[in-house]
Amino acid sequence: MSAHSVNIAKERLKNLLTADRMQCAPEAAQRLPVDLYHTISKYVEIRPEDFNIEITRTDIHIKYMGEKN
Amino acid sequence: MGEVIVITSGKGGVGKTTTTANIGIGLSGLGKKVMVIDTDLGLRNLDVVMGLENRIIYNIVDVIEGSCRLKQALIKDSRFPELYLLPSAQTRDKSSVSPEQMKKLIDDIRDEFDFILLDCPAGIEQGFQNAVAGADRGIVVTTPEVSAIRDADRIIGLLEASGIRQNDLIINRLRIDMVRRGDMMSVDDVTEILAVNLLGVIPDDEQVVIATNQGEPVVGEDSLAGKAYADICRRLLGEEIPVDDYSKPEGFFEKISNLFHRN
Repeated sequence: MSAHSVNIAKERLKNLLTADRMQCAPEAAQRLPVDLYHTISKYVEIRPEDFNIEITRTDIHIKYMGEKN
Repeated sequence: MGEVIVITSGKGGVGKTTTTANIGIGLSGLGKKVMVIDTDLGLRNLDVVMGLENRIIYNIVDVIEGSCRLKQALIKDSRFPELYLLPSAQTRDKSSVSPEQMKKLIDDIRDEFDFILLDCPAGIEQGFQNAVAGADRGIVVTTPEVSAIRDADRIIGLLEASGIRQNDLIINRLRIDMVRRGDMMSVDDVTEILAVNLLGVIPDDEQVVIATNQGEPVVGEDSLAGKAYADICRRLLGEEIPVDDYSKPEGFFEKISNLFHRN
């Protein structure tokens, strides 16, 4: 049962840090990427697998792959 | 002009004081003139870890209030070259000193030392603000646990907000066996999440407990933690020593040699 407790630790920690860095509730931190995705998809044709958000202590990075050749 | 480094963590009990003592002693052993300052007002500990608790007459609050001269409060550790301790006050609280007073104290003495290490109290209140006020750079100590890493992230944010841009990480009490079986975050896991420069990794080592019992350092001793602290000191002096993340299995000869050392 404890074979992969490190994965649980990492997942919990990532959620905590996102909420801490944004100074909001964990649920709000989880909603933000979804809302951003919807907002951007109004203007840009985008698929979830091409879209990635990273929140650091000072920045919110939004990456998307754009048009494929 | 000396370099002023605050050693901090947010969470208590992760090894700030032990780290301050061992880095201070290690740097002094490398020929540097070092002052270690205990800024934890009301919970004086650095003197105990260093085995100097019976030599305290005056403390940092006495110096700041002008009740004594700095030289009267400084304790010279005669076991090591050029190592001085400015102890904290056990019977005063953190409001006895302001960040401005701390900054002035440090500015007055920084020319006389190569390194000034500030042992910061746990928490993010005034004690932290005091310790950070005079510092040029930070060393953040964490252990590979969710709560300690969370606090470390918060502390790095607060250090940056106070204008301290150079912050390095020490991962303390790494349990090599637990990392290998997937029950403790590895060095890579922690550095990936915190995204700051890694200054060193201290493996969990019972020699630290034994040394602290006796008021002795581990730095430079023939133990995993002793070597790790010695490497950290040399990195602080600019040497490029790769950080061992202890992910490689022990070699046959190390195993045999450890067997002998345990006895």
